[in-house]
Amino acid sequence: MTEVLARLDGITRHFGHVKALDSANLEIHSGEIHGILGENGAGKTTLLSILGGIIHPDVGFLEVGGSRVRLQSARAAWKMGIGLVHQHFTLVPGLSVLENLALGRRHTGHRWTLHLKEIRKEASQLGKLTGLTVPFEASIEELGVGDRQRIEILKALLRNPQLLVLDEPTAALAPAEIDQLFRLLRTLAEEGRAVVLVAHKLDEILSIADRVTVLRQGRTVMTAVRADVDTAILTDAMVGSSSSEGEAPITPARNALPALGQSSDGLAQNRESGNRSVARLKGIDVYSPQGGLALQDVGLEVMSGEVIGVAGVEGNGQRELALVLSGRQQVASGKLEIPEHVGFIPQDRNREGLAADFDLTENVALALHRDPQFRSGPLLRWKLIGLHAAEIRSRFKVKSSGVRALARELSGGNQQRLVVGRELSRLPELLIAENPTRGLDFTATAFVRGELKKLAHDTAAGVVLISTDLDEILEVADRVFVILRGKLTPVPSTHDSREAIGAMMLGSRLEVH
Amino acid sequence: MRRFSQLAVAVLALLATGIIAAGSLWLGGYDPLVAGAAMFQGSFGSGTAILSVTMVRAVPLIVTGLAVALAFRAGVWNIGAEGQLYAGAIAAAWVGLSWGSAPGWFLTPAALVAALLAGAAWAAIPAFMKVRLGIGEVIPTILMNFVGIYLAAFVVHGPLQENRGVFPQTDPISDAARLSVLVEGTRLHAGFLIALLVGVILWAGLRWTHFGFQARSVGASPDAARVSGMIESKRVLLVVFLSSGAIAGLAGGIEITGVTFALYEGLSPGWGYTAIAVALLAGLHPGWVVFTGLLFGGLEAGAGAMQREAGVPAAWVSAVEALVILFVLAGDQIRRRFGA
Repeated sequence: MTEVLARLDGITRHFGHVKALDSANLEIHSGEIHGILGENGAGKTTLLSILGGIIHPDVGFLEVGGSRVRLQSARAAWKMGIGLVHQHFTLVPGLSVLENLALGRRHTGHRWTLHLKEIRKEASQLGKLTGLTVPFEASIEELGVGDRQRIEILKALLRNPQLLVLDEPTAALAPAEIDQLFRLLRTLAEEGRAVVLVAHKLDEILSIADRVTVLRQGRTVMTAVRADVDTAILTDAMVGSSSSEGEAPITPARNALPALGQSSDGLAQNRESGNRSVARLKGIDVYSPQGGLALQDVGLEVMSGEVIGVAGVEGNGQRELALVLSGRQQVASGKLEIPEHVGFIPQDRNREGLAADFDLTENVALALHRDPQFRSGPLLRWKLIGLHAAEIRSRFKVKSSGVRALARELSGGNQQRLVVGRELSRLPELLIAENPTRGLDFTATAFVRGELKKLAHDTAAGVVLISTDLDEILEVADRVFVILRGKLTPVPSTHDSREAIGAMMLGSRLEVH
Repeated sequence: MRRFSQLAVAVLALLATGIIAAGSLWLGGYDPLVAGAAMFQGSFGSGTAILSVTMVRAVPLIVTGLAVALAFRAGVWNIGAEGQLYAGAIAAAWVGLSWGSAPGWFLTPAALVAALLAGAAWAAIPAFMKVRLGIGEVIPTILMNFVGIYLAAFVVHGPLQENRGVFPQTDPISDAARLSVLVEGTRLHAGFLIALLVGVILWAGLRWTHFGFQARSVGASPDAARVSGMIESKRVLLVVFLSSGAIAGLAGGIEITGVTFALYEGLSPGWGYTAIAVALLAGLHPGWVVFTGLLFGGLEAGAGAMQREAGVPAAWVSAVEALVILFVLAGDQIRRRFGA
């Protein structure tokens, strides 16, 4: 029979003035896979961090194995058999994979020495058992996100946790890798362990979870057995029924996309109608920082009015392609024609999209401070930039206390809305979006995807969507390419099935007749 | 709100420093009240104390504090204000001595411009190492301090030593090269106005100008600045680094033309280092640097009085200044950790 492995009861936690959790509850049974759903800012990550001992609740308590515990640190959580795999990777770049696996592990008996050999033996045994194979000697920088994810999970499993907590483990993985991960989680559950899983994609949760808990605005609004729920029920629970909530869910952007004082129609007309080339790459080679070619003989022509999707498993040259297309990287050889201004939604919004200590206005200024419209002589026209920021904030529904709020006070989803809004509001001729919906809830995701499509179709811009999420590519893109080991291959429209592209992403040869 | 919380950090840091300072005096067998009263008397207790001592001491602290604040805002960890100050002082003294017959309207500005250029040149070496060779600037700027300090010592023992050849100092610079006195009967000189002017320029520049925004962006998030694709980070870093050095050099020039009228060994009691405390306590905000500079000027002014009246060694004040840095840094981390 199922027994309660861990229980969170009446957890409330504030961050400054923001109530991240409001008497939330969660009960985890051994042997189950427990999915947690919620919008951005619903408190999922906070709840997991409390389970992992990283954050302490203001109010409420945690029970593990029937007795109340106070987890003072991540270490304490590990000792209780709770293993947390973070949403953001916690691997140390300068160290090898093996050294990373050894981090924080101290064998009894020899306190002062590191026994890499033992850890290696243990890890490779566990790797064989679970299918998590990782290159032990490689250094972390050389590895893609998929590998890093596997290392994180292996690192957690090495400590033999009874409860494995995963915060969005699928975000960076290819479909086949997700299947593999899910099979592994199922095996773990069958061994009697419990798995807690956060994922943004409803269908992923539905395909693996035994039970589901939904958080909304810091409260637990539902816990149910998988068989009793479906997409509609869960969606309702997550966003709240639209009539009763003060905050209406954001409809995927019917508010069209005219820039300041310009209607999109007018702009579309200004731009020549019909398909014209907005960017052209020919024979582009780019070296990676480690030596080697990150991009190899890449050719691509982006036409106005289309969304090009570039699918691929993380670490196959997407980064370099995005930087080249947006004019932010030198190429070793090849011909590159891109417009003067290229909109760019970088993958890592915390580090590259925004300056955390800048307010909304300043962050908006980051992208447009060279625009003559916003300058007079050596001065920046801050009033105008402020107005622009306010417009972005309201049109793209960036939840914040105002345009003077700091970027780091925003939730992840709202940070992304800010970045997307900033880039789209300038009506770029060419927009490069690198995993623009990673970590976003589905209203925000739908919003961003809708905006990308609208930018291409309504304003005749060229959009390049580089994504590891195949569903996203299939939903948004007009033409699909696959990037694998630095080579860009078009997917014939006769073969753009999910399976065919998935196979190409992993390097299986596609038969073209 | 963020301004408020930064102010709160500064006030709490000062409060904590005050408590520990008082406690250490008491442990050392001094009466904190007597010492504090003497310190206040010597710094802010009378018009003379304020105008002739505190404000005069504050000038180099404000100017080097501004130099440090500018650099830190752009993420340039210029710890070399001390050496840059000496470079500026040497240059100003040299101009004041060698062109002694030139008229004042030319000579004073010339001495100060020479100080600016010398400070920039002193910063140019670590700046080049950072921008072109990718060598972190902290160690090079610190080491350049020693070079600057000993270069000044060499100069006053050798090429620029006074004609009598007795003391390790230069002859006094010509009257024409000296900054005018602001308030008759006090030692307050026009250098104070220059300090305010530099403060206003930096404040407005960082806040309103395109270049200032680029500098702040590079400091706030080098990655976001790079990816935004519009900031030539290297050029910005170079300009900021050289400007910071120039301003620190100016501090040396002002000291020569406004206070000492001669260069000698040990001209600066470590202003370039205290400047870090001045800048950090001000939250790297040029406007606040003026106030924190005055505060530290008062501390140093009061230190002398305290030594005379209460027997507390003046070196104790240096320890107190260092405590301020520690508390500001700790307070800043706490503020970040706990939001708000």
